[in-house]
Amino acid sequence: MDIDTGSCGRELGIKDEVIKKACSISIRAHQAPAEKPFLVDKIRGSPSQVVIAFSGAWTSDAWSTRDGTAKAFGETEVNLNSFPSLRSIGNDITAKVNEASMNQFLQIMEKSALRSEMDKATRDSKPIIFAGHSSGGPIAIYATIWLLEEYKRLKKTLTHGPFCLTFGSPLTTDRIFCHAVRREEWSDRFVHFVMIHDIVPRILLAPLSSTKEFLEQSLPYLISPSAHHKADSIDKSKLTALFDNVMRNASCVASHAACILMGSTNMLLDTMTKFVQLSPYRPCGQYVFCTGTGRLVVVKNPDAVFQLLFYSLQLVSESESQQKAVASLPAHLAYEDGLDKNLDMRNAIHLENLCELPLSSDNTMDIATKTIVDTLNDLNLSARARLCLRAAGESEKQKEDNQKKIERKMGMIRNALDDLEGYRTMCETRGMGYFDAFKVQKHEDDFKANVKRLELAGIWDEIIEMLKRDELPDKYEAEKSWVKLGTEFRQLVEPLDVANYYRHLKNEDTGPYMTKGRPRRYKYTQRWREHAEQLPRGSCGESCFWADVEELNLAVTSNQPRNEQMALNVANKLKEWHAKGEVKKDAFLKETALVTWWKTLPDNHGAKLCIKDLIES
Amino acid sequence: MARRCCKSGHWKERFETSAMMGTFLASTPLLKEAWRLCSAANAMGCGAFVVEQVGGVGYVAFSGVQEMPVLGWDPSCTMLAPLDAAGHGLFAALTRRYEGEEPVMVHSGVLHRFHHYQSRNDLQSQIDSLLDKTKSIVITGHSIGGSVAFLTALSVLSFLKSIFPPSVLCIGFGSPFLGNESLSRAILRERWASNFCNVVATHDILPRLSLDQSLVQTPHWKALIRFWYTSMMSPNSMNLTDFPLTEEDKAWLFSFAVANMERLAQVGEGSRWRSFWPLGNYLFCSEEGMICLDNAISVKKMMHLMLRTSSPSCVIEEHLKYGWYVERLSLQSLGRRFKEGHLSESSYEASLSMALNSLGTSQQVLIALMAKDCLKMARQKERHPNLNAAYLAIKLSKIAPYRAEIEWYKACCDNSDKQRGYYDSFKQRGASKRESHINKNRIILKAFWDGVVSMMDRNELPLNFHKSLEWVIEESQLYKLLVEPLDIAEYYRSGMHLKKGHYISNGRERRYEIFNQWWTERVVIEKLGNRRTRYTSLTQDTCFWARVEEAKEWLDKIKSESDPNNLVFLRDRLNEFEAYAMKLFDGKEASADVLAKNSSFSLWLKEWRALKSQIYPLIELALPD
Repeated sequence: MDIDTGSCGRELGIKDEVIKKACSISIRAHQAPAEKPFLVDKIRGSPSQVVIAFSGAWTSDAWSTRDGTAKAFGETEVNLNSFPSLRSIGNDITAKVNEASMNQFLQIMEKSALRSEMDKATRDSKPIIFAGHSSGGPIAIYATIWLLEEYKRLKKTLTHGPFCLTFGSPLTTDRIFCHAVRREEWSDRFVHFVMIHDIVPRILLAPLSSTKEFLEQSLPYLISPSAHHKADSIDKSKLTALFDNVMRNASCVASHAACILMGSTNMLLDTMTKFVQLSPYRPCGQYVFCTGTGRLVVVKNPDAVFQLLFYSLQLVSESESQQKAVASLPAHLAYEDGLDKNLDMRNAIHLENLCELPLSSDNTMDIATKTIVDTLNDLNLSARARLCLRAAGESEKQKEDNQKKIERKMGMIRNALDDLEGYRTMCETRGMGYFDAFKVQKHEDDFKANVKRLELAGIWDEIIEMLKRDELPDKYEAEKSWVKLGTEFRQLVEPLDVANYYRHLKNEDTGPYMTKGRPRRYKYTQRWREHAEQLPRGSCGESCFWADVEELNLAVTSNQPRNEQMALNVANKLKEWHAKGEVKKDAFLKETALVTWWKTLPDNHGAKLCIKDLIES
Repeated sequence: MARRCCKSGHWKERFETSAMMGTFLASTPLLKEAWRLCSAANAMGCGAFVVEQVGGVGYVAFSGVQEMPVLGWDPSCTMLAPLDAAGHGLFAALTRRYEGEEPVMVHSGVLHRFHHYQSRNDLQSQIDSLLDKTKSIVITGHSIGGSVAFLTALSVLSFLKSIFPPSVLCIGFGSPFLGNESLSRAILRERWASNFCNVVATHDILPRLSLDQSLVQTPHWKALIRFWYTSMMSPNSMNLTDFPLTEEDKAWLFSFAVANMERLAQVGEGSRWRSFWPLGNYLFCSEEGMICLDNAISVKKMMHLMLRTSSPSCVIEEHLKYGWYVERLSLQSLGRRFKEGHLSESSYEASLSMALNSLGTSQQVLIALMAKDCLKMARQKERHPNLNAAYLAIKLSKIAPYRAEIEWYKACCDNSDKQRGYYDSFKQRGASKRESHINKNRIILKAFWDGVVSMMDRNELPLNFHKSLEWVIEESQLYKLLVEPLDIAEYYRSGMHLKKGHYISNGRERRYEIFNQWWTERVVIEKLGNRRTRYTSLTQDTCFWARVEEAKEWLDKIKSESDPNNLVFLRDRLNEFEAYAMKLFDGKEASADVLAKNSSFSLWLKEWRALKSQIYPLIELALPD
């Protein structure tokens, strides 16, 4: 086990002084007037850094649900135009965030000088540290993502890229958000500090309706020190009720997640989601848990962080409830002092190798294990909690093993693709496009190609199935080698699938290939490429234009009116793809389905003219 | 550190999850809410029910106090009654019978109560208005009320199935068994098992009793149920000292329950015994926690084991303690659970001991050992079908090339100069290498699919695989369309029809019948109305060639027949087949190989049409008028 006790900042790639400074500016930001939604400060050094700290707001118009139809946890899908990376690629699911906090961020972007501050720092190559305490945390997260998207769009290196530090921030991002951030390898740029007794980071695990009063009426006065409110001015019984409610919901959603991590296949887990409101929010980025004993525990595995958010605040006995509830508010206000002290103690530990965590606290032998055991005790973790952390570790490890397993099949895929490439060349020497040759299935080679097609389909379907069940590492869909192989596979083999589909007249049983028959293995791989190369959605149809050609041909033979738009589109795209070398010249040989269709076009037709040169050469 | 390394193998085997599931369920507000309404319904007395909406969820609770006259005084009445007997199609989805299965049976007394509720307009209209307002509905009940809730939930699920995917959850508290193994299997097949939960206290006897004549007639039972009913209706005035049963009476009831559970625990899967069978999830709760089990065999074993940790003194009050359990477990889920003592460092062993702790058995070494085996078995039982399903996917992609070869063979025959299609080419093959290769593929595919069928027979596939593995069904259909003609060819080629009779009635193998059933039962999402423009690549009626063989025989017979009655009979058969074939071609449901110039069908058609004109006058002559 890797034990590295020492400076927390060094572990995280950020200096301790920067953390302290960011924290104190974040706290000060709450005092700033409402028209000043963030504070800017500089930290000298080489390079010097800029800290931008947000205050956020817990005010009623921002956090309350707009009307009766609003979601229980106030979640909404992110706008993919502003945040194109925030989705799962193949499965095509958009990330969700808390709507109120996102709206605050969008307002700030629109109305304040944030944009120019960002531009200025970027121009001077000064890394920006976005920071926020409490309700300022989520805004800092979105601002960081916004800038990271900008870097990605401009293909800039991240050497002077932004970081995000939050202190006692509530969870406002969902599972897909976390998946996307990890896939883009931005995860290490987010560091969230959580006092283990602080209730606020857990508060959005409970439905908004049950926490609204507290969030809107009590908390704002507490976090803005100018109002001179003290934590003990709050009604203890109300606070205990709130604490119980939040922990009840946290227990529910954490144990639901733990069942899945441990591999339960019971369908009841699914059924229950229709009856119980489970918060969609999940942690994203690195977490630093500050224990009551002054230890800083760094955790990267998001599933483990999620379990820790519940278990580190779990009650040891029932009578403890009020005491913990009362302590949970001062903890939210103690980040500045707490971190100052904890960082100086140089007592940070990285919780790694989760599947090897010791379960029991006794009979420890070596120093390294003892440190881990002490840390787990400081985090207040029962054996059950440790099992959940192990499960989180096992799940991560399993995903990596799965990827290794499919990586071993890369050679097989490669060979089959080479064989099909040979088939294509041979068809060409026969003077036929391989799409048409395959569709006719006249020679033994056509049959052999069909067997290769089926072999490849088997391998790829297994991969897609794993993606659907979330059994591969988050970064998988962005791996260059896989995106490349997926693209090659799609460009070479999909025409054969289209040929097979129309050869067996499956369109008459199920409908057109593109809308009813296209296998997921091609949809996924197409999205991979579009994402990797930042191309518009649906623009990489170079592998399936044959399906459109088939439909156009069918329309001709059944005397249906010509779909002019589709005809023009196909022709224009073909020209483009041919120019890029993505559609080879065999498509334009003299008896292909494409040319057959082309010949039916009147001479003055736009589509006819468009690819005339290609066909006649 | 190395000693703690994770064991290799499938990671999902590394944790026992029944206790974690229990914690999850206990931490939801559902059990508490359901119990609140159950006890409200109990307080309202005999035959009552409560309907209420809480947030976005609708609740229907049945009183545990139910009058069960049928059992009381009709000695001729059997305990289990078929569900479809008087169901009026209420349970259409469940009562479909599969080969060799017992009919679906339920407790006749509960069925009687259910029909009583069905006839009450007030309940129906209130459920309808709940369904209008909410998307999710919880149906619940304490004791026998829970059994009524189960049947009601089944009827709601059957009814809603055709309209929208329903969110129905049924929760019974200490409810007795409802039906037989066929019922449990039918529910699994519909993927409804996860909609049913039975909360069972580890020491409650009612869920372990078969409410049959030998019990309900006894004074012990009558006294017990009377006391239970009184306590349910007024829980606060429960006074155990008033209880009329002696210690001997309790001991009798307890040993009756033990004997019954022992008998039930020994009944294995697929046995034809008409005995009760657990359905859905069982949530076993003790003072220490809750675990969730869904494998029926394990549930029965666990029910039996837990009863052995009980004693006659628990007979009375355990059945009345569900409110207390629900409250306690909900509180427990917030905090740490129990003394942790010494735990194994293996994740699996540690999570297993947690499940045993949750059952409250940690102190009883012998029982704990057996309970441990029981949990392990449940895990294996659960895993195997899912693993098999996963392997099936991989195997299927491996055999796909064999099928492709046959497809290729068919295409070659279609294009060959002999023009006789793949059926006849295969049937009349000589010592050709190609055909013997195709025959080998045919045998490999046959072995694979027979394997799938026998896995299903042995319950080694997920029971709901008709729904979860739709792609298997698609594949089986493709296989049937392509290969059954070759099986028919082989049948007639080897002269089996002379020994056993014609293929359709005597020679068709069971797998095809089963694939047929799968195909016709699958959920058809969308049907395209358009007509086929070309002949299909595979004839849709896979027995078509067998019909041709029969028609050929008739044609041979008619040539030598002189008895006018027989002539008429054969002529009608031949005409019928001709019309059938023409209809097939009209709809383009046949593949082109059938119509190949030299196919045995084309030859038959030519001969029959030529013969027709000769046969008709013969018949007219022979017939009296």
